[in-house]
Amino acid sequence: MASYAVRVKRDLARWVESGVIAPDLAQVLADDIDAHQRKSFSFGSILAILAALLFAAALLIFVAANWEAIPRVWRVGLIFAALAAGYVGGAVLKQRDHPAFAEALWLIGAAGFGGAISLIGQMYHMSGDEAQAVLVWCGGTALAALALRSGPLTAGAVVLADAWMAMLALDFWGSTPFPYEFAAVALVLWALSYWTDSKVARHLILLSLDCYLVLLAIEVNMFVVSVLLAIASAAVFAFAVMRPAEADRLARLDGRLALHGLIGFLTGMTVLQFGMIDELGALVIGAIVSFAGIAAALFYGGRDSRAVRWIAYLGFGCQLVFTYVVTLGTMLGTAGFFLLGSATLAILAYVIIRIERRVNAPAAPQGANA
Amino acid sequence: MMRANRLIIAAIALSLVQIGFLSWMIAGRAAILRNGAEVLLRIQPVDPRDLLRGDYVVLSYDISQIPVSLIGNVPQGMTETEEGPIYVRLAKGADNHWNAVSASLGVPPAAPAAPGEVDIKGYLSSGWGLVGDAIVNPDYGIERFYLPEGEGLAIQNDIRERPFSMRVAVAKDGAAQIKALLDGDTVLFEEPLY
Repeated sequence: MASYAVRVKRDLARWVESGVIAPDLAQVLADDIDAHQRKSFSFGSILAILAALLFAAALLIFVAANWEAIPRVWRVGLIFAALAAGYVGGAVLKQRDHPAFAEALWLIGAAGFGGAISLIGQMYHMSGDEAQAVLVWCGGTALAALALRSGPLTAGAVVLADAWMAMLALDFWGSTPFPYEFAAVALVLWALSYWTDSKVARHLILLSLDCYLVLLAIEVNMFVVSVLLAIASAAVFAFAVMRPAEADRLARLDGRLALHGLIGFLTGMTVLQFGMIDELGALVIGAIVSFAGIAAALFYGGRDSRAVRWIAYLGFGCQLVFTYVVTLGTMLGTAGFFLLGSATLAILAYVIIRIERRVNAPAAPQGANA
Repeated sequence: MMRANRLIIAAIALSLVQIGFLSWMIAGRAAILRNGAEVLLRIQPVDPRDLLRGDYVVLSYDISQIPVSLIGNVPQGMTETEEGPIYVRLAKGADNHWNAVSASLGVPPAAPAAPGEVDIKGYLSSGWGLVGDAIVNPDYGIERFYLPEGEGLAIQNDIRERPFSMRVAVAKDGAAQIKALLDGDTVLFEEPLY
């Protein structure tokens, strides 16, 4: 598959040939594409990162195995050496213009930091508070991302923050406090992601916030939190669709902010309806709001974004099934269930085909903004 | 060139900061081992299903169960614990093992520890009843013992038949650190400082 850059350059050459644009402009555009292309990840750099993750896993398992053959001072020294070699070696490779391997080595450095924390816990038989250890690891990784200006390390810090949040929040039967501080951690990492220019981190943070708010709703108040999530997400969606330029300047997500608005809205409506599962009247209202929201998302945001359309279809299908099962569920036998499935898929197929045909039709404007 | 050098300097500084932080963690633990007051705690048999997880055994001590009657400062009208520290005063018993003699919620006990007494700091989660003859279960951060691979099972079986003990170092602020695991009078594992 030809990459985006190759395809655009092919188009540029054709446009220059047919006189649509001047050769100077084509050169400017091609340079701009090259400048931005270098930042994105190729297949090779993904492999380099995978290799780093495997090496990191080996390092952590090596620690966990508590290998008595090596004196502990040596084990600590080895891990410190891996940590320093990862960070400094990565910096040297970055300097020599091997960005992918640089990022991979930095990941090993950050893994060495986490491995050392767990090794010290093992050396001194420290018990309890694994969550705290993960948070410290997250802090160290974020610091590394800050110092080295590394996108993958920023994303790594977000993943560690998520792990910390999940360890505390999912401990339902235990008595660990709810990680309210996650909101602050997410905010700090979000700010960091601008400095390190990591869109992946920002996408992860927004998705993590959805998960966090679901858990917060379960912990605090299903109704209030889910309604606020749905309203705030709808507002984000509206902002992203009505003021795309400002939204992108603010969120810097390549115009995908609307997608997160829709995901947040659907998440909020799902929690809301699960919370009111015993109240039929409220459920009907919830379903109507949800369908209306999905329709609005398709109408206002669907044309520009295939991802928005497919998330909307998914939400539509789930909402349809949920509403039927809750309202008619007790009356459904197995046959009825399959009948319902068939009807849902048929409706979904009809809606998708209609909308995709409209969106993909050659732009033939009929009226102003119909 | 200038900017690239700055990156390498940043990487070196980062390594030093992180290694420094980790060394500080180690130094703190080693200081407790070196300077902490030594107490001998009796280990209670633990439900074997929970005992062995991976390469460590989960332990419980006699002092992991503190009767509410020992807590001197339960506020009036408080029926359940809030999450927070609990300071347990230990004194040496006739059999050389140390037992809880009193406890204080939230703050270190008002009276300083007498000679032959040690205050150990534990953590209580919320929701333990504080009424009548209830018992609370503090964690002291010493409820886990890492073993070389494969040795866990033998200890898990022995620990239910004979009384095992743990020699623990307790710092001035009450932080506890495992020093040695004993089977009767025999030292099974002893921890070096580093």
